[in-house]
Amino acid sequence: MTRLVGGVAIVMIRVLIVCSWGMSTSLLVDSMLAAAVASGYELTVEALSAGEYAARVEECDVVLIAPQIRHLRKSIEKLAASVGKPVALIEPFHYATMNGQAVLEQVLSLFSGVQEG
Amino acid sequence: MIERSSAWFERYLVPPLGALASNVYLQAVRDAFIIFTLPLILAGSLFLIVANPPIPALATFIAPYQQDILVPFQLSFGLMALFLSFGVAYSLAQYRRTEAVQPGVLAMVLFLIASVPVRDLTNLNFGEVLPYLGGQGLLVGILIGILTTEVMRRFRGSRFTIRLPKSVPPNVTRAFEALVPAVLLITLIWGVEWFVSIHTFTGADGKLQQLTLPILLMRAFQPLVFVQDSYPAALLEIILMMLLWSVGIHGMNVVTAIALPFWLSTLTANATAGGHGIVTEPFFHIFAHLGGSGATWPLVIYMLRSHSAQLRTVGKVALGPAIFNINEPVTFGVPMALNPLMMIPFVLVPVIIVTINYIVFSIGLVHVPVVLQPFTVPVGISGFVATGGDFRGSLLQFFDLAVSAIIYYPFFKAWERILVAREEAATVQPVEKNVRIPAGVR
Repeated sequence: MTRLVGGVAIVMIRVLIVCSWGMSTSLLVDSMLAAAVASGYELTVEALSAGEYAARVEECDVVLIAPQIRHLRKSIEKLAASVGKPVALIEPFHYATMNGQAVLEQVLSLFSGVQEG
Repeated sequence: MIERSSAWFERYLVPPLGALASNVYLQAVRDAFIIFTLPLILAGSLFLIVANPPIPALATFIAPYQQDILVPFQLSFGLMALFLSFGVAYSLAQYRRTEAVQPGVLAMVLFLIASVPVRDLTNLNFGEVLPYLGGQGLLVGILIGILTTEVMRRFRGSRFTIRLPKSVPPNVTRAFEALVPAVLLITLIWGVEWFVSIHTFTGADGKLQQLTLPILLMRAFQPLVFVQDSYPAALLEIILMMLLWSVGIHGMNVVTAIALPFWLSTLTANATAGGHGIVTEPFFHIFAHLGGSGATWPLVIYMLRSHSAQLRTVGKVALGPAIFNINEPVTFGVPMALNPLMMIPFVLVPVIIVTINYIVFSIGLVHVPVVLQPFTVPVGISGFVATGGDFRGSLLQFFDLAVSAIIYYPFFKAWERILVAREEAATVQPVEKNVRIPAGVR
């Protein structure tokens, strides 16, 4: 399925969420995927620990940081910047309420930012 | 007031706690435990439960076969330090963005060399070595995992490595690159072990035994293992966990990485040698963090019927995860993190629960934890399983929940009043849209 995001046709957006054990994030992932299906985007979302993220950062389009590892933000951002991936912290309240729609919008704006820049 | 004090926390409390939590070695140990060791420990524990059924009649029936049933346990749970050495080397290599499997495998070889005395191995008694490949060898496993990756990554691309022409396939090149550090590390550990195992000590059976690195380290750290299994240590650990969570950092993860070798060696002693150690992993995960870190189960119930729209929303999302002891919705939704009002019971409740439980376990009202299980096992079931089938374990959990419910209530009501006032203000002046999100979250 091809959609226009930021004026560019895309096929699929690959998202990595850096978190701690992936237990709570998996709930958010489900909610994001449901939101993506509802609005017609194709999305893959993976929740990883910071170490797995370091090994696999190249395999994604957008990086998100779960609030409970906020303290790792600088090193995560540095690595993402070195390979040109957009990165952002998930708003804690959106994370708490497992608001997949809001986080999806965050992904889309990050993704379109890269496409334009 | 609330806004100002949370800014203070953000400024003075977050940086030092964040620095501790970002330590790459601690993160690697944590990842190694979760990804590589925990599944084996859990699988092995099932056999431990079967070999020690809580029903006396069944126990008598099983007694003659007990050691046979324990074989899978001994070779999974019992070898956890071996797999941990692989996991630490592998996870650390991921953080260092270098090839991970080679250091992992080499770390296991080095760990085995370190754990076995230097002598004719054909007549070595396996039972003598076994404890040091598991609970008693965790520190050596962690140190060797770190050493292996740190040495190997320095050799990668350095002058002191075997160079092959560019036309050679990368996999072959990688194998040769690993050769020099592998030989070097093997020689080093074997040399140290040889020196160590020249020395002997008198074992528990009165026979002279050769010293090995894990035995040496265990003897050096024995006082620390002893100190760790005490009330002050438990108090320190729970306070550190909850302070970290209070600033929104995964506290259990950080403390686990530090305390794990001690928790597991105490738990192993409980499971295999009839020990009575209290401060173990289940002591926190199963008996303190009821419904998630901070024992927030009762809060979820309160929230479902709250006058505040925000708390009702969070309560609905938090209910399902709470059953499986996941409470990020509570921590970031109420929020507890960086909320000076809710931080008080968030630290206080687990501290009181840990105190009660420590007393209960030490006077023998409930059997000490012997079984490790995933932290997601619901309250009630997990207390029974953790104690090796003592139903009083479940009763203790419910008692702790009641304590939590009582302490949280006044703080919950106070926070609810603040939120309701904000929400009313927001409906009167719809311009201030962001007031529904409490300032503490930002």
